[in-house]
Order: sequence, then structure tokens, then C-alpha cells
Amino acid sequence: MSILIDKNTKVLVQGITGNIGTTQTRYMLEEGTNIVAGVTPGKGGLKVENVPVFDRVEEAVNNFPIDVSLLFVPARVAKDSVLEAIDAGIKTVVLITEHTPVHDVIEMKAYALQKNAILIGPTTPGIITPGECKIGILPANMFCQGQVGIISRSGTLAYEVAANLCAIGIGQSTVVGMGADRVAGTNLVDILKLFNQDKDTKVVVIVGEVGGTQEEDASEFIREGMSKPVVAYIAGISVPPGKRMGHAGAIIEGGKGSAKSKIESLLASDVKIAKRLYEIPSLVKELIS
Amino acid sequence: MRLHEYEAEEIFSKYGINIPLGGLAKTPQEVKQIAESIGVPVVLKSQVLVGGRGKAGGVKIVDNLDEVDIVADKMLKTELKGYKPEGLLVLKKVDIKKEIYLGITIDRTLGTPIIMISTEGGINIEEVSRKNPEKIFKFLVNPLQNLYPYQVISIVKKIGLTGEPLAETVIIIAKLYKVFREYDGLIAEINPLVLTEEGKVLCVDAVLEIDDSALFRHPELNKRKLDAMSERDKRLMKKGATFVKLNGNIGLVCSGAGLAMATMDMISDYPALSPANFLETGGGITSDLMVDCMELVLEQPKLDAIFINLYGGINPIHEGAKGIAKVIRERKLNIPIVAKALGNRQEETWETLEEVGVHIIKESETQKAVEFLAKLLGVKAK
Repeated sequence: MSILIDKNTKVLVQGITGNIGTTQTRYMLEEGTNIVAGVTPGKGGLKVENVPVFDRVEEAVNNFPIDVSLLFVPARVAKDSVLEAIDAGIKTVVLITEHTPVHDVIEMKAYALQKNAILIGPTTPGIITPGECKIGILPANMFCQGQVGIISRSGTLAYEVAANLCAIGIGQSTVVGMGADRVAGTNLVDILKLFNQDKDTKVVVIVGEVGGTQEEDASEFIREGMSKPVVAYIAGISVPPGKRMGHAGAIIEGGKGSAKSKIESLLASDVKIAKRLYEIPSLVKELIS
Repeated sequence: MRLHEYEAEEIFSKYGINIPLGGLAKTPQEVKQIAESIGVPVVLKSQVLVGGRGKAGGVKIVDNLDEVDIVADKMLKTELKGYKPEGLLVLKKVDIKKEIYLGITIDRTLGTPIIMISTEGGINIEEVSRKNPEKIFKFLVNPLQNLYPYQVISIVKKIGLTGEPLAETVIIIAKLYKVFREYDGLIAEINPLVLTEEGKVLCVDAVLEIDDSALFRHPELNKRKLDAMSERDKRLMKKGATFVKLNGNIGLVCSGAGLAMATMDMISDYPALSPANFLETGGGITSDLMVDCMELVLEQPKLDAIFINLYGGINPIHEGAKGIAKVIRERKLNIPIVAKALGNRQEETWETLEEVGVHIIKESETQKAVEFLAKLLGVKAK
């Protein structure tokens, strides 16, 4: 089982005719993802990898049932495209795009909340339920089926953690990249709640990083409402304070948001802390057997 | 992009926020001219983009017109935390009755703009936020609506303002919010906002930081930023790569900020090793981008080795490998290079890199690659 997506999920790709959209659509189809349609304004009537392309999301929705829209669109039109998907009634939107203006992100997030939709991203690698469905850019050969849920703020670290778990025979129920921007469409705690309710997820791994207070907020929920064991790793313990490290999110502001403050707050909620990335598999193994 | 104080004041003033009389000066003579026209005492403020400027001696009050150019000359020549001032902002000193902190930023968890106001204004506001957070009053703005002035009356009342200053401060908040939204602000701040003895409300220090991702909406600012950058930095920025100099001995090239930080954490477990830089390629790897990345890393002065850590998700790492190989060949590099590269088209990537003598680690654990690097350099973990 899984959260958010499974083998029955029907997917729309916005921005399907671009270079990245086309390549990644091919990779997803190879993994068995059910991509039913694509959208690029002005390219309606074309086909990409045999997937029909429409000019507007509404036209796609009128022709196919669609559960999730995945976006490979330029940052400057990301807000427009996300609002279009939500207005067409799509309930889960995954925005891969990097460098979206944060003032656009806060509007998308508020709009999704108002319309009961889930926005994952921006700057997310997407979501994968191994063996069933892959929505995004995650390289499928890094993942395998199983019972560990992973939530990662970083895309590449999600790949590495999953691959290291697979190497000792531990698979994943679903892996969610929550996105690395200053503001995430869906917060860490909301994804934790989904894993908590998923009967086939036995252990949850949080791959966090310095900056923001997502991990601190999550630890409050873990203490009060989480019934499953949690393992966490925070990247950036060696990062000098005050340096900006690429992700708009990874800024250390005063004492808050530092690796130390996150680790202390997670420890207080009985979360098992991996001090280094490579300690995650053995901690998970202890909890799952 | 952080703007200089004088640039931020210009923008605030355009939106109708009152600032003290004065202007920017680049020479002691210009400083004196401005001081003569507005009258002493004046406040001279170094225009450098560093925090803690006041505490570092970058703000001086001059009472005597004859001393203005002497003080200005010295300030213009004084670097603050390694930065030379772009000029001096010369402002008429105001009689302070009350200092207020006013700031707008984005609450990262809620994803909404947040307006903060406090009477504990001035240079210690960060300490206040840690020790007495209850002294800072906050208002969250719905990003899908405008801010209406009536919404912030209650937080302004909470800091004890009444009458004309209350009404005026409410209007200033609405104007500052407009700047924040229209300029894609990460921070718009007035610290302090001053209530003068004559009952006026003035912006005495302005901070405006703009979201780099939104610079396409602000062509003038974008041009200013680009003019200050090298051609290579422009290419890196265009592709979304980020570089930070760190002065250690291991050059790093990683395809993701999280991966780069985790790698740095592992390298730092070896006392003899430390990162020379942070370099995150972003999701736009090409052969050319990798050439730029490698050349930038090779400029670092104390390199003992280069460590490459890539994942092929959105990134065509097989293309990136060609760029790396090109630099190694053309520059006949013999510095040890250790690479871990996994994901889509990993086999092609390995082949390209192995041909030019890069040590390839094919396991999924970065730690294994770091251990290999340490062994290669003959160093031990603590």
C-alpha cells in the first residue's frame, strides 16, 4: 500500500511537450505510470509518447478521469498552471519546477488549501510508490517495494536513502519529496499524518535539512499523534551559520532552524536520529524487524 | 538580492513613506554639500551590505559642520567586515520620542506574509525575538487578498500608539506591505520607525531584500545584479547552480543542495579534510555547465582532491560526465578525483569518467566514496 499515489492513479503532465517533459514522460511510462494526457497551450492535438496533448487542463479533464497533475513548466508560469489545474478540479498537484517566486508559491498554497487540493513542491523530485507508480523525476532504479515511508526535503538525498535501504533488502511504501523551497505547498507534518494512517507503512524516515522550522513543527505532532516509529536525519550539521546553501530554504536564521535545534526537538519526541546519512539503514532495520 | 539602504529608502519614499531629509554621497565634498543644505546634526551611514553595521562603526553622528568632511573621508575609506562602502547616506538627525520595529517577511511554515511590530526597536530586535517574543506583535495576511489598513489597527494599538501617530503608522504598514508584495520582497523592514518629538513618523533605516527567483519581474534590479557578476557566474546562475567558497581542501561538485550538505557532513568527520566549497548544480546539468563547475572548483587555492556526487533524476549525468572529462583532458589534471554517480544512464557516465582516470564508486552510499577518498589521501577519521 501507499500514500497519495498507487497503480490506479491517473496522471496528467502539464508542460509535456518540453524537453524535460517529454524525456521524463518516457521514463514514467517505462515504470508503468498511467499517464492519460498532457497539456501545453498551443500544442493541442499532438501526441507525446502516444499520450494525447490538449491546450487546456479543462479539456483534458473533460476527456479523461485525472487524479494527479504533474508540472514541468517554466517558473514564470508555474502559478498560472497550478491554479489552472486546481480550478479544473484536480486534487493533487505536483510542481517539479525550480526557482518559482515565493510570492507565487504562497498564493498557490493558499489557493490549494481553499479548494481542498494538495500541492506538492515546488522544487520537488515528485512521489514514487515503488513498483506501482512514479510521478516526477526520481530515478526508479534507486527504489524498491516495501514498508518504509520516506519524506525528504531534498530530492537527491531521497534517492540515496532509498537506495541504501534497498541494498539491505528494505523497501519503501511511498517516497515523497516535499520540495526544497522557502515555502512548501504541503508541510512535513501533513505528509507524516498520511503515513501514520497508511496501514502498510511500518516506519517513517524524515530526511530534513537546516533552515525553516518544518522538523521542529513535525516533532510536536510526532510526540502527540504519531503511532509509528520515526527515524530522522538532518543534513547540514557542518554548514557554517549564515551561509546560504542553494536551496532558498537552507538558511540558518539565528538559533532557530539549525541542525542542532532540529535534532534536539526530534530527540525529545523519541525520534531515532541518524547523525550521518549512512546510519539510517541500520536504525530502520532495528525498528522494522 | 539585498538592496542598499539608500536604494530601499528610494523605493519606500516612492510609495509615500516619509524619510528624513538627506541623500547619498560618494565623496567627502558631496557629504558636506548635503549637510550644508539640510543643516547639522547629521547622521552618516556607510552603504555596505553587512549586518551589524552600527555596532561595527558604520554609523556616525556629526554635530559640527566643519568636521563633516573629515569624518566622511575616514568612513568612506573604512571597510566594514571586508566590504568597501558604496557611499555614505547623509540624513538629518531626528529627535526621537519613540523607536518602533516594523518588519514584513514570509512565515515559511504557514506560507503567508507576516507583519511584525514592536516597541523594542533598534539594533537588538533579534535578541528580543529570542528572549521576549511576546513583545513582538504579529499579523498574518491572507496572500489571496489585499491588506486593508483596518486589519492592522489592533497591533499598532498594542504597542501603545494613539491619535495621529496611530493613524499614520497604520498607513505606513499598508504602504510597506504594498512594497513587499510588488517588489517580491523576502524582507521589508523599517528599523527603527521613529516617532519624533514633533509627532511625525519617519523611516530612519530601510531594509529590502528581493527574491532572486522573481528578478525577471524587476528588469532594472536584475540588470544591476547581472552587471556586478562575471560571465561565468551569470551562466551558473542561469542554470540554477549555487557556489559558496569555504576555504578547505576538498573541491565539491554535487547535484543537489541536500546531497551537498550531507556530503560535507561526512567529509568533515575527517579532521584533515574540509570542503573547499559548496557547489550545487541544480537540475540543469549540461556538458558546458560541468566545464564551468569544474573550472570554478579548480580555482580554489588549497585543493588536495575533488569529490563529485551526482544523481541522474532530472539531470542527464552522462552529459555532465562529458564536461568533466573535457576539463580533465584539456588541463591534463592529475589531482585525485573521486566520483559517485547514480541514476538514469549511470553506466555511460561511469565509462566516460573512468576513461579519464576518475575513481568511480558504484555503490549507493556516499560514505563509501568518502572513505575511499580518505584512504586515497591517507587520512583517518576522528
